[in-house]
Amino acid sequence: MSQGNRPWTAFYGPAVRTDIETAAYRTIGDMVSSVAHLYGSKPAFTACLPNGMNGSLSFAQVDEMSDALAVYLRETAGLSKGDRVALQVPNGLSFPVAAFAVFKAGCVLVNVNPLYTAEEMAKQFADAQPQALIVVDIFADKLAQALRGHPVPNIIVTQVAEFFPAMPRGIVRLVQKHWDRTLAPVTLPHIRLPQAIAAGRDIQSGKGIAVESYRAQIEPDDIACLQYTGGTTGVSKGAMLTHENLLMNMEQSMEMISGVEKGREVALTALPLYHIFAFTVNLLGFYYLGARNVLIPNPRPLTNLKRAFENYPITWMSGVNTLFNGLSNEIWFLDSPPKHLKFASAGGMALQSSVAARWEEVTGKPVLEGYGLTESSPVLTFNPLGKTRPGSIGIPVPSTDLRCLDDAGNEVRQGEAGELAARGPQVMKGYWQKPEETAGTMRDGWLLTGDIGIMDADGYFSIVDRKKDMVLVSGFNVYPNEIEDCLVRHPGIVEAAVIGVPDGASGEAIKAFVVRSDRTLTEAVIRAYCKEHLTGYKVPKSVEFREDLPKSNVGKILRKDLRKPVPALRDAS
Amino acid sequence: MVGPFEQALLALMIFVIMLGMGASLTPRDFVLALKRPYGLMIGVVSQYGFMPFIGFLLALLLPVSDPIKIGILIMSCMPGGTTSNIFTYFSKGNLALSVLMTVTSTVFGVLLIPIVLVVYAGALDVDIPRENIIITLVLLLVPVAIGMVLRKFNANVGAVTEFLGSMLAVFFILFLIVSWIPRNFTFLLETGWATYVAAIAIGLIGITVGYLFAKALRLHPRNARTVGLETGIQNGPLAIAIIAFTFSGAEQQAINAVPVLYSLFIVIVSTMVTLYFRRANTAAEQKMPDGLL
Repeated sequence: MSQGNRPWTAFYGPAVRTDIETAAYRTIGDMVSSVAHLYGSKPAFTACLPNGMNGSLSFAQVDEMSDALAVYLRETAGLSKGDRVALQVPNGLSFPVAAFAVFKAGCVLVNVNPLYTAEEMAKQFADAQPQALIVVDIFADKLAQALRGHPVPNIIVTQVAEFFPAMPRGIVRLVQKHWDRTLAPVTLPHIRLPQAIAAGRDIQSGKGIAVESYRAQIEPDDIACLQYTGGTTGVSKGAMLTHENLLMNMEQSMEMISGVEKGREVALTALPLYHIFAFTVNLLGFYYLGARNVLIPNPRPLTNLKRAFENYPITWMSGVNTLFNGLSNEIWFLDSPPKHLKFASAGGMALQSSVAARWEEVTGKPVLEGYGLTESSPVLTFNPLGKTRPGSIGIPVPSTDLRCLDDAGNEVRQGEAGELAARGPQVMKGYWQKPEETAGTMRDGWLLTGDIGIMDADGYFSIVDRKKDMVLVSGFNVYPNEIEDCLVRHPGIVEAAVIGVPDGASGEAIKAFVVRSDRTLTEAVIRAYCKEHLTGYKVPKSVEFREDLPKSNVGKILRKDLRKPVPALRDAS
Repeated sequence: MVGPFEQALLALMIFVIMLGMGASLTPRDFVLALKRPYGLMIGVVSQYGFMPFIGFLLALLLPVSDPIKIGILIMSCMPGGTTSNIFTYFSKGNLALSVLMTVTSTVFGVLLIPIVLVVYAGALDVDIPRENIIITLVLLLVPVAIGMVLRKFNANVGAVTEFLGSMLAVFFILFLIVSWIPRNFTFLLETGWATYVAAIAIGLIGITVGYLFAKALRLHPRNARTVGLETGIQNGPLAIAIIAFTFSGAEQQAINAVPVLYSLFIVIVSTMVTLYFRRANTAAEQKMPDGLL
């Protein structure tokens, strides 16, 4: 595309490449190994618990351990290239080892939200058909139920304090077992992660297997990751992200970040790595830059981050609106804001301008907002340092085209609103085994985002609305269909409709309108019922009881009418 | 009442606990508390302004004998001790502020305790055992400093020390209560109700008044909790030492009833207050959505 169609390139820094011709590495496994040779014994990942107990793995260790686990997956577990491996662990040292091993083995990583209910897990497993599952013990109690009907042949169990020194690891397990009581016995046949790695090492040395031989079979456009999303239609599906998609997006994102000193940064990863934003930017991007990634297993309550900020000189962090807002209200954070911080980047959900301003006031450093979708690995745009525009999602990253289309698919005039369509090396291959869904989202190589945006005269973009009814709760797409389906399964509920309402804490919150047959049904009972079947963020924050719901003449519930404010005067009839 | 072996054991326990407390702190915490000496000043006012007055009122209003009155007055003039630091830690208060308040009130105590006692007790002239003051400060500051160094040296060593220290602290609190009662059983039976009321009230009213005063002056809840506990929790052993230095025989034993009884009840009162503060702290926490966070 000509320069004229990319007015934003004028705002790239002098060192920024307008186009990235090819990725610096063929596969993610190649990247992991090359970077490990560069930084060797420097700490790559540090998991920090709320009490300050921690464990670290160096670049060389992560490389070596993921090699061994890759060998285990291929040789002992008997997986082949292209087999799916589900990973369901919170942020911790197991995550990079497991994820990198899957990539090195030529298998496909399926990130699973550890907080998912057994029902939600079952749905995702049914679609992805994983041959192996790497899961953290504290959530393994859901396994028996989730795997009923579609068993996963290989289960590898890990723990929160995996690879920590023995003393803190022992204390963490003692506390989990006797105080928190979060350790349920794993009833299914399984192997522990360190044993799987040890077994892999034995095979490596015994049979002389080199991981490079697996990597040689992998092509850049082989699928690396099935990243589940509801996309723009609400049906949960796996976005097929290739090695090239992820590696390119990693480079594209890092290209936009200026002032990075390779091998010297300390990045705080409070966002969960199973989410595509932290996955690409923190796990891949900051590993690639030789940074030390400080992983937070659970950032709730926010005081859980205190020790990490005290013990490590954080230079960079990623977050979502909710996190920046929350931290700016914590007394300990206000008392001693991170003094080494260079800047923070926001994604996942719209960054409120008041939150951005307050953050900058507290830390003295800006938050740079970016934008993207799971389907685009995810980063499409980013605000360049020093040239941020409040309320804007910034400018497209290198090698990326972004335009606004009208309903007929034609580009609207600059300054007018239209559905954002994106093209670039980070755009997915399609949805896993869903050709119709893929066809609905991809047109002639362009990804339709479902977001309505505007490009200003300089090429900066901003989002005005979302095309469909999906609700964005702290960075997660929530699809009213799924919540409504769950609600109407309750025997006391006749009809239900779900919309998003503005919410200070999560950006948007779920509101349910319910027509009940059981008059004794209360909001609390409905919420408790939803909690049994849905992940926390999908549970309606408020429930309103109605006598009926607005419907179209074909009986379709009109969510848009529910979004309108209630008229002050009601028709008596 | 307490043998030298037990005393050494207690000192060792306090040392390890304070090591753990220290491992939860950074130099920055102290810098921050010193940068805003407001909290510290409120603490000193609370400690030597309110507490002796509360003691004076209790001595005046309760039907107690003269030695008990002296005991109440001495008890209420005491600085904070390490116990207040432990309870501040468990209450999610500001531990650095608590430690600084203990140090300040202990150091100022050398000067202020005799003055305050002269004001409220007229001719009462007490000897302040400097060794005890020094021991208190050493037992507080040395392990705290070592704990901080441990954490700086290795975050895991710090975190493990803190964990062990806090476990020992829980044991210590239980130990104080459990071991106290059988040792002083006959004494408990012989003591009149008014002495009980005084021994309980000094701590309870002290914590309440300190907390409300700090709240009224708009200190952050975390710091207000600290001031409250620091005000109400006195250095019991120091009171016993002062009494031993100043009085003798039957009089000494009679006066001692107050600090001995106080030492039991303050642990019980503080435990309950701590449970309340912890709940308040959790309730005040920001609610983070389940999703990305």
